[in-house]
Amino acid sequence: MGVPIQRCMIMKYTRFEKAAIIGARALQISMGAPVLIKVPKKITDPLQISMLELKKDAMPITVKREEA
Amino acid sequence: MYMMTENMETVRISPEKLNKKLDNIIEELVRENFEGRLVNGALTILVTDVENVGGGKMVHGDGGVYQKVKFNALVTKPEIQEVIEGSVCDVLSFGAFVRFGALDGLVHISQVTDDRINFDSGNKKLVGKSTKNELKIEDTVRARIVTLSLNERSPRESRIGLTMRQNGMGKLEWIEESRKKPEEKKEKKAEKKKKKVKK
Repeated sequence: MGVPIQRCMIMKYTRFEKAAIIGARALQISMGAPVLIKVPKKITDPLQISMLELKKDAMPITVKREEA
Repeated sequence: MYMMTENMETVRISPEKLNKKLDNIIEELVRENFEGRLVNGALTILVTDVENVGGGKMVHGDGGVYQKVKFNALVTKPEIQEVIEGSVCDVLSFGAFVRFGALDGLVHISQVTDDRINFDSGNKKLVGKSTKNELKIEDTVRARIVTLSLNERSPRESRIGLTMRQNGMGKLEWIEESRKKPEEKKEKKAEKKKKKVKK
């Protein structure tokens, strides 16, 4: 089990939550927020960068769920 | 009146500022947003001890982060009937502006003394007609706030009306003089009595 535990493993996001997070982060990046991962040169789209951040577990945003 | 207040507010951190340290940005933003602001008749002069409370929140459709902050603020709240002490910062034909702390107030020419007053435009002085009392720039005066119209949108346009036509008000030297005078009169009376007794 050499795989590090990722945030999305502890708290599995629904597809809606993922979409919201990626969208919010992409907007931040597009408005000039610093990117937290190393991005290949060919990727310049904030949405793609945002998706990559979520994949590499570098997303600085979490979801606050309402207690059901 | 000066007060130290504890405040809870929310500030928006714009995305391009997210690369700095959170404590530094928050302090900077709180300074920017609240120092020099007039809220509920109180002017914030200084903010200290800025702390963030909990995590930031994001709103749909806005890339900014909304952060709750707690801070202490030094505020000044001028109140009607409050007695203030300040220095004259400008003398004009219609009165004198008095600066007390962070605010300026106007003493209208009719409110300077009970005496009639002439304006000396060359020397920027107000001179009493019979008493020859002078009021010039940088004099220290004591006055009472009588009218207040504070403009929260632009604090600089606020108007504060002062009066010095009451007992114990006016230039500090005048107050001292008026305190001395009754004593001098008493002394003179005592001397006269002595003379009469001698006769």
